[in-house]
Amino acid sequence: MRRKKLLLRTGLIYAGLILVLLVFIGPILWFALLAIRPSETVFAIPPVIFFTPSPAAFQSTFVDPGANRHQLVNSLIVAGGAVLLNLPFSFPAAYALSRFRMRGGKNMMLWYLGLLMAPPVAFLIPYFVLVSRIGLRGTYLAMILIMQTITIPFSVWLMKSFIDEVPVELEEAARVDGAKWPRVIARITLPLVRPGMIVTSMFAFVFSWNNAAFPLVLSNQRTATLPIGTLGYFATAGATWTFIGAAATAAMLPPMIIFLVLDRYVARGLTFGSLKG
Amino acid sequence: MSNNVIGRAPAFSLAPSRARRRRRLFPYLLIAPSVVLLVAVTIFPLFFALKSSFYFWNLQMGPKPLGFIGFGNYRMALTSAVFMASVVNTLVLTVSGTVLEVFFGLMIALLLCHALPGMSVARALLIMPTTIAPIVVGFLFRYMYDPTGGLIPWLLAKAGVPIPRTGLLGSGLTALPSILFADMWQWTPFCAIVLYAALLSVPPHVIEAARLDGASAWTILRRIRLPLIRKTLSFVVMLRFMQLFNTFDLVLVLTRGGPGSSTRTLGYTLYQQGLVDFNIGLASAMTWIIVIMVNALIGLYVVFVFRDWE
Repeated sequence: MRRKKLLLRTGLIYAGLILVLLVFIGPILWFALLAIRPSETVFAIPPVIFFTPSPAAFQSTFVDPGANRHQLVNSLIVAGGAVLLNLPFSFPAAYALSRFRMRGGKNMMLWYLGLLMAPPVAFLIPYFVLVSRIGLRGTYLAMILIMQTITIPFSVWLMKSFIDEVPVELEEAARVDGAKWPRVIARITLPLVRPGMIVTSMFAFVFSWNNAAFPLVLSNQRTATLPIGTLGYFATAGATWTFIGAAATAAMLPPMIIFLVLDRYVARGLTFGSLKG
Repeated sequence: MSNNVIGRAPAFSLAPSRARRRRRLFPYLLIAPSVVLLVAVTIFPLFFALKSSFYFWNLQMGPKPLGFIGFGNYRMALTSAVFMASVVNTLVLTVSGTVLEVFFGLMIALLLCHALPGMSVARALLIMPTTIAPIVVGFLFRYMYDPTGGLIPWLLAKAGVPIPRTGLLGSGLTALPSILFADMWQWTPFCAIVLYAALLSVPPHVIEAARLDGASAWTILRRIRLPLIRKTLSFVVMLRFMQLFNTFDLVLVLTRGGPGSSTRTLGYTLYQQGLVDFNIGLASAMTWIIVIMVNALIGLYVVFVFRDWE
């Protein structure tokens, strides 16, 4: 009797789980299928599940003529550049906030957090005017620079949590032996937090990759990132849905792969390091 | 020396005072570059917007402001029906979204807590919607909501649910709930995964002890689990609240604020005023109204939630 009840319970849990996955993963698969559909099945009623897959949409968007190919490269440049630029700013700040009890240290952390919560749209108008005025509109530099409003605060928070885990005793020992601060950081702390730095950089890459508000306003036709380029398909009469599917799939894949690789750190990354999973 | 937490008995306590001052300055030197850069790209633009907000300035009429009008832009924003509709829509979206996402997220987190084979794979897959760019989620749902053959209207019709003739996104009654649903789809997994990770840190023996004392699952949740994950819960609530308050990408792709102004959010109205109609002065005033609202919300949070942190 008890066994039967347990079996029923397990069955119910799995049923719930399957329902949850169907709701949250099903749409992604359905959308990704769009990229390899023959175009006559895009809006077929009833929906067509089985069809002969065709790489035609990927072919036209990324190979020939490949309108989205250079947008993919742009996305990589902007997100990669934003992460690289952020490291020399965020690592020292995270180190200082982790190791020293400073006046206003907690307020600093809250200030960074506040920036992460701030509405990006609220900055769009001044950015648009100021960036145009100094002649940087449409440049990668402008986008990479503005992305720092996301990457620096995020990286400071997450990286601080990794530095907190490096025992101070190691640094102390080197200090007692007469080594100077910069040397201690470079020789002892940096190698030990490198894994944390890589994890932080990968998450920062995703957040910057996924930001559309800044490139929407700051890029031009030549420097448009992949989602902004994809947005252009909606402006043409009769949206070319298979192309949208192909471009969007390419935009979805890198963050998904990064999150699967970082599985162990996902909860920690999403809470900016405040929850150590 | 008091600002140095390293070293129980500092070996350098007899160092000359100049070196000591340098050491005390060291942490501030480390923080300074990030602060300077962030001030340059956030505080400075905001003050630029503050100045612009007092001018009549439309880029379609010329590159320069056309004159000082005091609080005219603020008056215009606060008396405009479109702006006030945006405030209402934003609040409806924010409050309902936060409540629903955190509620369903908690339910799924509790489901994930059952240690059964396959659970870790399910968990790794579940977070996928959250990893997608919000603007791409917009593309996804524009496809799914399409009135001429999208999957969602088809499923609803199969289930006997009446659908507006203009489509789910084309009716003032269903457009905002449709945007809310897309946001819930993306962020409920976020709440679930983070709350699940927090629930894991609740010591199992405490729950076991309560269970042996005859406590029901509901009592355990309310009296033990929720109080112990209070911090994470408030973090999730704050994050969802603020991000929902900033909703922009979904509206841009799905409805552009329509039909009428039924799905205008503050973020979208701001974008449309400033970067479609190029009404820089008015948009700057709206920027500052939003900045004040956001700061008030964050301030309330800091006072009530972060007061006892660390």
